[in-house]
Amino acid sequence: MNSSNNNNKPKLKMAVYWGSACGGCCVSILDVHEALFDVIANADLVFWPIALDTKYKDVEAMPNGFIDITLFNGAIRNSENEHMALLLREKSKLLIAYGSCAHLGGIPGLGNFHNRKEIFERVYETSESTVNPDGIMPQTNYAALEGNLNLPEFYDTVKTLDQVVCVDYYMPGCPPQTERLLEVFMAVVNGSELPQKKSVIGAWDKTQCDECDRVKTDNKLVKKFNRPFEIDDDLTTCFLEQGVICLGPATRGGCGYRCIKGNAPCRGCYGPTPDITDPGAKMMSAIGTLIDANKPEEIAEIVDQIVDPAGTFYRYSLPASILRRKLI
Amino acid sequence: MEFQPTIVSFLCNWCSYSGADLAGTSRMKYAPNIRIIRVMCSGRVDPTFVLKAFSEGADGVLICGCHPGDCHYHEGNYKCLRRFLLLQKYISQMGINPNRLRLEWISASEGKQFAQLVDEMTEVLIQLGPNKFKEITQPA
Amino acid sequence: MKEPKIGVYICWCGTNISHMVDVKAITEEIGDMPNIKVSRNYKYMCSDPGQDLIISDIKKHKLNRIVVAACSPRIHELTFRKAIENAGLNPYLFEMANIREQVSWVHTDIEAATEKAKSLVIAAISKVTHHEELERRTVDINPATLIIGGGITGMTAALDIAESGFKVYLIERDNKLGGVVSKVDLTFPYMSSAQQLIKSLINKVSNNKNIEVFFNTKIKEINGYVGNFETKLKLQKKARELKFGNMILATGLKPTDPESIHEIGYGRLPDVVTALEFEQMLIKGNIKTKAGKEPNNILIVHCVGSRNEKYNPYCSRTCCMTALKYSNQIRSALPKTSIYHAYSDMRAFGKGCEEFYSQTGRKNAVFLMYDQKNDIPTLRRAGKNDRCNIIAHMYEKLSGEDIEIPADIVILMISMEAHENVKQVAHAAGVSICSNGFFMEKHPKLDPIATTTDGVYIAGTCQSPKDIPDSVSQARAAAARILTSISVGKVEIELTTAVVNEDICGACHTCINVCPYSAISFDEEKKVSVVNEVICKGCGTCSSACPTGAISARHFTDKQILSQIEGLLAVSNKLSEKLEMEEV
Repeated sequence: MNSSNNNNKPKLKMAVYWGSACGGCCVSILDVHEALFDVIANADLVFWPIALDTKYKDVEAMPNGFIDITLFNGAIRNSENEHMALLLREKSKLLIAYGSCAHLGGIPGLGNFHNRKEIFERVYETSESTVNPDGIMPQTNYAALEGNLNLPEFYDTVKTLDQVVCVDYYMPGCPPQTERLLEVFMAVVNGSELPQKKSVIGAWDKTQCDECDRVKTDNKLVKKFNRPFEIDDDLTTCFLEQGVICLGPATRGGCGYRCIKGNAPCRGCYGPTPDITDPGAKMMSAIGTLIDANKPEEIAEIVDQIVDPAGTFYRYSLPASILRRKLI
Repeated sequence: MEFQPTIVSFLCNWCSYSGADLAGTSRMKYAPNIRIIRVMCSGRVDPTFVLKAFSEGADGVLICGCHPGDCHYHEGNYKCLRRFLLLQKYISQMGINPNRLRLEWISASEGKQFAQLVDEMTEVLIQLGPNKFKEITQPA
Repeated sequence: MKEPKIGVYICWCGTNISHMVDVKAITEEIGDMPNIKVSRNYKYMCSDPGQDLIISDIKKHKLNRIVVAACSPRIHELTFRKAIENAGLNPYLFEMANIREQVSWVHTDIEAATEKAKSLVIAAISKVTHHEELERRTVDINPATLIIGGGITGMTAALDIAESGFKVYLIERDNKLGGVVSKVDLTFPYMSSAQQLIKSLINKVSNNKNIEVFFNTKIKEINGYVGNFETKLKLQKKARELKFGNMILATGLKPTDPESIHEIGYGRLPDVVTALEFEQMLIKGNIKTKAGKEPNNILIVHCVGSRNEKYNPYCSRTCCMTALKYSNQIRSALPKTSIYHAYSDMRAFGKGCEEFYSQTGRKNAVFLMYDQKNDIPTLRRAGKNDRCNIIAHMYEKLSGEDIEIPADIVILMISMEAHENVKQVAHAAGVSICSNGFFMEKHPKLDPIATTTDGVYIAGTCQSPKDIPDSVSQARAAAARILTSISVGKVEIELTTAVVNEDICGACHTCINVCPYSAISFDEEKKVSVVNEVICKGCGTCSSACPTGAISARHFTDKQILSQIEGLLAVSNKLSEKLEMEEV
């Protein structure tokens, strides 16, 4: 990277925060490697819990709009996530939903197949590794000797960042490809014209297939759906044509089709193409269309081979889907 | 007042929509709970439409196309059938009773069958009660 | 998108709509909605003053979107599109809400019907807001015509078109022309020769250079659209490709299989014959029993297979008069033979037919009425001492007595059904079939020879049972319609095709085999799918199959339909909120 700081410009103030996340997004930022020198030459990191010792109260003390860019990763699972989303929104000029969880709900969003009660019961009572004879459950308040302790409230439903606050841009990926982050970062540093607000940045409008070098033909009909381990992958034919559900046709490019290059089908973390109302429905429609049978019983038999349609087609996007969650 | 369900229905232009029109020209009477959207072919019905209807508060969704083998566009109805069966599995996972989503074949001459279908589906939905999805998707 | 200025027009349809839907209340409520500049109701929107209302509003208020809530769009969508176009607005910036066939005619509760109508109107408004202008496209009409069926109907139509100087391809599945009429001796009610009639037509057709007849040929598949159809024929020696602009389906009739009507004894009793078999006796001038004897008693059973829910619920229209024709012919040939008619009602509605009935009635035949809805005469072999071949047993309705009728020959007036190839032809031509198995017309009263597929006409007994004058009328009407279209030379074609957004298409190839018309191909250079809009028929299946949203189905885009759904449920959403409020 050759764009070191031009000293006339004040350095950008940047924040990174994680909501309900695995930490992978934060690591993807660290993955800039030596380009980190360019980043810190152009930006001051004012808040980043995983890397810096800054406190919430430091953020609260900042004037509104103090931060130039906030990369918010993680979904909104609890009241703390929500509180910080609201706070960072207020303090940031640009709030970017960074990574699949903030963008679409991501893997934590699969929690929407359950509610708090079910999740707590599993985690604190029934899971094989749990020993909790007193059935102690998390409380939001606890009167300890030292005083009242508060824990954030765990919500029934996982939300995307934009279901809680107004988001300026979305950077998809689980995690986003670091090169894309640098491109976006340098565009902001160089004062390039930014795309229309609310759009997805750091990803292409075209799908994985556009880049993917596996051979695609017109013959996509599927008689049997296979799990990836069930096929003897020839490493060159489109996964769909080998009966393996690959979400590449419905997923934006930008990751460099990493999974497919690694001979694993795309799972859709980069999210849908522009103007798609429901991320999973489109792929479901395409996959349904390709079933090679006309008799209801035969179709049902083939459909049965897709063990978990909801988890397959909405792996990263359940909270952002039209239905958002399972009705319990 | 007894719960009155709302059914959103997608009818193909050639067979089913004509069948529904025939029920009208024949002055057959059926439950007023159905709201019809005309598409050219049942093959146009995207699962997105069905999910949208549920999220907007439809208590049931009815898709009708030409009978197998009679599709005006040869085989759009088969494509609809395949998507429908997959979609039904998905909505069941999402906690929607699959009886809320139906796919039926109605030809241009089956006005009577259409009227009966609407009455029957309305009755089923009254038994099932309101679709609660709107509370999730459109929180007050 | 320009700011939408929408005009909404609610039709009373006389009282057809207004008796069940509170059109005034809807007009008022809609008028308060955003983007609605004009909201009116009127007695007959489709009338000239109704259309003028829209036209003058478009001009005066600069409306750019129109919604008409009236009858089915299948009836008047084109009418209103034309009106809107006359006002200088793109005709596709228009949407209809069907509040007659799908509301006022099918519901009985004014409040519920009004709520439903309102939600359909709001849905139409939501959809039309997202409508886009579509540019008119016309194509030249290929002046050739394909006619399927070489009976009296097909030949008549062929001659009308050919004699105007245009090419006709006449497809006949049999090895000769003439159809059912060529198997008939005389015609009713004037007793003129069917043979002469049909032979002169066959001659004319065979000698007309503009008519090319294909014998022993069936049509498997027809591609294209009005003005530019094509089909491939598999002939005995080679394949042949035909291109044509219009087609007439004149596939004719099939007599009901008499063996399917068990009581009647066809097949079991040698002297039970169908009408067409009796015609052969008449043509040969030889009315004899199988044993070669002159019959002393002939029984003619009417309505065999007609007007009975077990067989065909409809009336076959020609059998009553044909039966009277037989009465006359038998009486001339065999003055001493007793003639019995087992009939249910006499239907003599055609020109000259009632007169024919009363003349025949004076010629010494016995008319016995049976209850065809529940009953049909049963036939059994006569005993040795009976002095006849067959004994028919029936309940005679007028006398109220069970009677037995002696017969040496029994003629069955078999009902008319659509030809057995009707399904296959319907599929190839893209037309529908009605519940009785005949081709379905575009409009039963106003357009009985057109179909819902432009450029495809139906004529003769493939549309419904009919006699020769009616078949010929339809043939000539269809020919006239086609000649009109040929003389105009151009036709507007479907604009609501699919289109690929090349900026989004990711080249997954999912859509390509989805298209039943092979209208989608892959552009190897651009690496995107391409829709051939001339071939595309606008079903929209590819649009739903496309995982990226790159393919949109014009006039039925995702956005348009999703908005329509929102609009559709807006009323019930409000209503349920209101109910909840009340409960609270």
